[in-house]
Amino acid sequence: MAQHLVSGIVASESDGLGIPGVTITEKGTTRGALTDVNGKYSIKVSSGKSLLVFSFVGMKSVTEQVNDRATIDVKLAAETVGLNEVVVTALGLSREKKSLGYAVSEVAGENLTTVKDLNVVNSLAGRVAGVVITQGTFGPGSSSRVVIRGNNSLTGNNQPLYVVDGIPVDNSGYGSASSSDAGEYSKSDYGSGVSDINPDDIESVSVLKGPNAAALYGSRAANGVVLITSKKGKLNKGLGVSYTGNYTFESPMLLPKFQDVYGQGTQGNTPPALDDLRNEGGSWGAKMDGSSKMYWNGTTKAYSPQPNNVKDFFQTASTQIHTLAMEGGNTASTFRFSYTNTSADAIVPGTKLTRHNFNLRATTNLTDKLNIDTKVTYFLQDGKNRPTMGTEGMMAYLYPIPRNTVISDLRDFQNPADYKVKSYTNGSVGNPYWFAYHDKNIDSRTRFQGFAKATYTFTSELMAFIRVGTDMVNEKIETVNQYGHWFYPSGYLSYSMDKTSETNIDALIMYKKKINDKINFDVNAGVNHMYNTYEQMKVTAENFKIPTSPTLQSAAKNSPEYTPLKEKIINSVYGSAIFSYNQFLYLEGSMRNDWSSTLPQSNWSYFYPSASASLLLNELIDFKAMNYAKVRVGWAKVGNDTDPYQLQNAFDLSSASDSYLGLTVLTRPSTRNNVNLLPEEVTSTELGGEFRFFNNRLYADFSYYDRKSKNLIMEVPIPASTGYSMEHTNVGEMQNKGFEIMVGFVPVDKPDFKWDVSVNFSTNKNKLNKLIEGVDQYVLSTTNSGAVEVVAKVGGGYGDIYASTYKTDAQGNKVVDAQGRFIVAPDKKFVGNYQPDWIGGMTNTITYKNYSLRFLVDARIGGKVYSGTDAGLDGAGVTVPTLQFRENGTVIDGVKEDGSKNTTNISAQQYWGSYSGVAENYIFDQTNIRLRELSLVYEFPKKLINKTFIKGASIGVVGRNLFFIYKKLENYDPEGSSSASNFAQGVLFYNMPTSRSLGFNFNVKF
Amino acid sequence: MKAYKFFFIITFALGIFSCTKDFVDINKDPNAITADQASAKYFLTVPQYKLYAPDNYPYWRAMLIHADRFSGYFTFGDNYSWWDDELGYKYDVAYTDATWDFYDGYFGQLDNFLKLTKPGGDFENKYMYAVGQIMKGLYYQMFTETFGEIPYSQAGDPNIILPAYDTQKDIYKGIIADLNTAMTTIGDATVTGEAIQDLGSNDLYCGGDLQKWKRLANTLKLRIAMRAYGVPGDDFAAAAISQALAAPLLSTDADNVLMVKDNTISKWNSDSYAGAWLDYGGFNSGGGWTVSQPMVDYLRKYNDPRLTKFVKPAMGGTFSFTKPATGSDNVLWPKRVAFLVKTLTDAGADFTKTGDENTATEITITMAANKNFLGKPIRTNGFVQPLMRREFFSTPTDYFVVAKGSSAPIYPEIVLTTAEAYFLKAEAIVRGISGATGDADAAFKEGIKKSMKMWGCTDESIATYLAASEIANITTGSTDQKLEKIAVQRWINSYTEGFEGWAVVRKSGYPSTLANGVVDPDIYGLGDISGKYPERMIYGSSAKSKNGANLNIAIGRQGPDAMDTKLWFSKP
Repeated sequence: MAQHLVSGIVASESDGLGIPGVTITEKGTTRGALTDVNGKYSIKVSSGKSLLVFSFVGMKSVTEQVNDRATIDVKLAAETVGLNEVVVTALGLSREKKSLGYAVSEVAGENLTTVKDLNVVNSLAGRVAGVVITQGTFGPGSSSRVVIRGNNSLTGNNQPLYVVDGIPVDNSGYGSASSSDAGEYSKSDYGSGVSDINPDDIESVSVLKGPNAAALYGSRAANGVVLITSKKGKLNKGLGVSYTGNYTFESPMLLPKFQDVYGQGTQGNTPPALDDLRNEGGSWGAKMDGSSKMYWNGTTKAYSPQPNNVKDFFQTASTQIHTLAMEGGNTASTFRFSYTNTSADAIVPGTKLTRHNFNLRATTNLTDKLNIDTKVTYFLQDGKNRPTMGTEGMMAYLYPIPRNTVISDLRDFQNPADYKVKSYTNGSVGNPYWFAYHDKNIDSRTRFQGFAKATYTFTSELMAFIRVGTDMVNEKIETVNQYGHWFYPSGYLSYSMDKTSETNIDALIMYKKKINDKINFDVNAGVNHMYNTYEQMKVTAENFKIPTSPTLQSAAKNSPEYTPLKEKIINSVYGSAIFSYNQFLYLEGSMRNDWSSTLPQSNWSYFYPSASASLLLNELIDFKAMNYAKVRVGWAKVGNDTDPYQLQNAFDLSSASDSYLGLTVLTRPSTRNNVNLLPEEVTSTELGGEFRFFNNRLYADFSYYDRKSKNLIMEVPIPASTGYSMEHTNVGEMQNKGFEIMVGFVPVDKPDFKWDVSVNFSTNKNKLNKLIEGVDQYVLSTTNSGAVEVVAKVGGGYGDIYASTYKTDAQGNKVVDAQGRFIVAPDKKFVGNYQPDWIGGMTNTITYKNYSLRFLVDARIGGKVYSGTDAGLDGAGVTVPTLQFRENGTVIDGVKEDGSKNTTNISAQQYWGSYSGVAENYIFDQTNIRLRELSLVYEFPKKLINKTFIKGASIGVVGRNLFFIYKKLENYDPEGSSSASNFAQGVLFYNMPTSRSLGFNFNVKF
Repeated sequence: MKAYKFFFIITFALGIFSCTKDFVDINKDPNAITADQASAKYFLTVPQYKLYAPDNYPYWRAMLIHADRFSGYFTFGDNYSWWDDELGYKYDVAYTDATWDFYDGYFGQLDNFLKLTKPGGDFENKYMYAVGQIMKGLYYQMFTETFGEIPYSQAGDPNIILPAYDTQKDIYKGIIADLNTAMTTIGDATVTGEAIQDLGSNDLYCGGDLQKWKRLANTLKLRIAMRAYGVPGDDFAAAAISQALAAPLLSTDADNVLMVKDNTISKWNSDSYAGAWLDYGGFNSGGGWTVSQPMVDYLRKYNDPRLTKFVKPAMGGTFSFTKPATGSDNVLWPKRVAFLVKTLTDAGADFTKTGDENTATEITITMAANKNFLGKPIRTNGFVQPLMRREFFSTPTDYFVVAKGSSAPIYPEIVLTTAEAYFLKAEAIVRGISGATGDADAAFKEGIKKSMKMWGCTDESIATYLAASEIANITTGSTDQKLEKIAVQRWINSYTEGFEGWAVVRKSGYPSTLANGVVDPDIYGLGDISGKYPERMIYGSSAKSKNGANLNIAIGRQGPDAMDTKLWFSKP
């Protein structure tokens, strides 16, 4: 029988690019071939009449009869809703979703760019089950806290690993999760690694939720991985140019409600003497009657309510994002270049953020076997006066202003004679305009990211790549508290420069073997070398000799601090094997061994495995309505190391300016380090299923997981009488259990009209199983007043809130003091946990002809929060509830300490002063449901533009955080966090309001 | 593709990537100092200054808010204060925890010094170790007298994570044993060693003078034994007292153990009174305070030359007061105004009042400027606060509130004074303790003289006071009256060193104006102790969370964890 040789190119229908790795089989035989990196193939077939089947994961198979042709070029189209859906998983490998024994969620880039957020991770909120996102409210580009399937670590990083095109991104940053700065006083945030990524460059985002999915990424993936795949150039007729413009306008979503009846003063009086008036900053004065009265700036003024004085401080912020992208390519090479320019301000005055993102990606096939893929990203960001929050931040001096204050009077914020701050009251009280126009908070960050990857196709069965990637960040922050500042009367400045870098070198060998028609085998083996560095130079200085010159030169005193290069290395060897049987059974195993420089020699090598299986029931059971049914099970263990310098016990030398009388002074650190640290260990078991019915019109996906982390590396508080207050050691066990459900439905599916509804929700239960002998709680944060503690408690969860409560007698009556006020009980009581009971989202996508409407509603149910802001504002008498008891006072329903009934009448000021000291009164439920995103996009019809040089255009109206559908906490957005840190959750202290944004975007392709 | 090529690639890769040869080196902090690079004397300075001049947080929350107010030296609750004077008397978890955490957390650095210098330590030096033992006595005395039972005997044991609590009696006995050992070790030695072995200027208390350390140790021993003397169950005090009296005590003006303040160092490292007084906004704001009525009364009534050293006359001025619109404040206003008027009248202040509080809604008080010495009544509540104009009362002299960075003279921190040694001796003689011999009145007068000298009074003014003031004379009167006079002088002498002042009041019951507490809730804040004098502080939250089981055993022995639970040494 004469053999017949057929060759050709298999390309993608969408972009015309050759597809490597397409399987070509001759039907009825065992003959087969794979396409090379360019999509080229050649196969010997038994006859000129043979049938060739071209198949590739994620694409519809094509069958061609040879018909004596020598060249057969084939275009493959993507499978729309896919039985053979492909997702990007660990190591960037594209895999058929059906073969995975664990949950992976993928979000397409368009979902992130239509309604754009400057921090791309915020766009995942409500879209991915099991991911809790707490947004920073520090204005544009602030960092967000992302926790996937619950907190694993007590003190360490609980955030996922971000990986862009295979290169891990350093997500640290001042005010971010890895920062331990969590004081409630004054806080600032400059964004973190993931907020530097340009949403316009993103092709897709995959969320690998548990260690099962992430085992191959090693230590840092224990909290899950967010895999970002960026765009590559595509083949085009000529050069493809596109422009995208986004213009959004932001305003505060929600402000506290204020009373407008009583103005500045005390005990119902508004003191006539300026000094006395200024001594009473609260709105506890007389009824505002418009009469002429002494005003805090020394003038006399109509004593009238100013209902909008807080609101008028805010402004409409605008954000403009312009992206210009060019791409092109031929059969051998592609390139894509994009530039994005962002300029934004915040809803408070004086703030400005500018960004430039440059991105260049090029791929080329140097030979038939060798493909080179390279990328360079450069990012520049300049922030000016990003807002500060907390009890000494901007809102702390805005919200409590007396109700008769005209906001523009505060604009005159400085006394020219002595440079001192001017505000409405005496004492250490600031002025919001001082922050906006006088103090400095300047940051600039540059980030370089790049990689080069060479892939070599040895044979159709064997490929390998080697890749070098780097992520380098330089950050400079300058803060100045000007001369005359309420806490730094002679001024204070801090100037810091941080350098962080991480380089990864990795190599991977991939081997595919088809044993026979039914059995397939895939083996991957790789190595990785990670090198991470950190360096910091910081100077703080105070007491400016020339008050108007807030410089280092002008400072009478300065203290420099230098952190020499801090290095960390992790070397790893890993491998995985996938076995599939007859397209319905998939078994996968992986193992990895890490060597971390941060652990002691005896323990620096640690090994961890994973295993998973998936079974496709639809291949076994013939049930017509069911298109697809998969059950899966997975188990994994992941090790985790720690930071550098945690092993050695050494002494600290005080800096020159910190030495008593200039003497040489040494101290011993208060933490006892442990030379025998073990790696942390996270073990996870996962079960799940995926189903599709009725021609994919109904689909569902669920997961259940149980995850335990033990040998947590942390500083355990020990009694200081041991000589140390902390012991750095391995302790405890924390457990997270939960499930995630996603259900989708396509009510209408017509060529011109499609409606897709998808709903997801998830719940997670977190429990601290043990700490160390004799110690049963770890305090994450304590408020300055000591009234609220957020702890992790054995038997309880991570983030349990304990708050002060009323003192009561045996019968439960409130006990009042001799003056008739509430008494705070000495012991704090458990009032809830800040983590939500469950979270969920619903996305509706309606496409009608050229219009597409999408809206996302998301819900966060349960979880408590302490609002220190509400307590503070009630104490200041500016809130609506404090209108009670103003005219006649009140008698608290309670008993005196001797058991007799309380009869003492107290004024509203005393009542609220005493009430606001009981933290229990300010524990609120975080439950809220909001319209998170809304977009309406109109695609210009082809026939309208096909005569022009324009290839495509669309225009859209978009909105974010539009309104609350339901909310329990009245005055604030319960999700607005003051920091992404572990230590600042569950408490609200004068946060900025979340912003509502509305805007439009415009896309055009040439 | 040949198999050997894979093999080559894989082994090559493994060879590169699993290399760990630099791991140990890169994981060493170049900024850290190891034992072979240092000397023990550098470790002494921090435990020394942190005990008396810690950073702003404990200086404010532990010392000023609690000790210096419980001792009746200073008061809050004037109209400019952020707080009323009930603060501290009412349990405040944050301020209480700051006090506990200060004492508890202090131990590490002292423990370090002891471990480094002890036999077999990295810098073994028996004299330095003796110095450490004496410091341990100073520290534990304050710590136990603030809270009662605390971990002592098992503290610092590297094999014990949860140290047991010891009774106050055992702690006192332990301190005295340590002091005895230290004094024996010192013997006739004068310095801890030569060159790097000499504590020298790194010793902020005695400048490396071992004999001064020995006298300090002996005086401390006497003080502690006097605290224990006469307490039911005491079986060691009498012997310790007679031993102490037979050995050299602090005796000359130069013997005062005072710690020079560094007033340029950041307040976040080591603070002074000014940290709170000025930096929280100065006179016209929440910071700042007034001196207490009992203190100013003793000084003014008896023409004490320390009066103008300690306080300034009230600023005075004209002030109007408006009757509150509602609530009990409206009803009680006349009574409270009357209280203010009585306070001013009792102190003989030069002032006038217009308006009748019983009928008018506004009254005006005018006080002569910079003339009157008045202390502010202690423990007034928040409702009286608007009437308590700071301008009516004496505030500390500039010497106590020198701004950070200023080169103006500033008070030193008191460690132990020579006057104290004389007062203790006088008290021992008055009590008739065996071994205590000599002229009690002479010792008492010498103590007053040493105290006044220390506070900068002239010899002439001292002589006048000693000759004329009946409270400087213990030749007549009952034993109790004599003990009262000694207690009052000890209390005045310890001005600014609140922990000692507070302990004197608890041990002696004097000044009775403090020890008797307050009664009327219309005027005073009774706190959580129904107006009684605070006997101790409540244990910190971290004691409960970190070592709760041992703490509960201690509470079981000692009594409820409340501020009115009397400690072992206190006057019943």
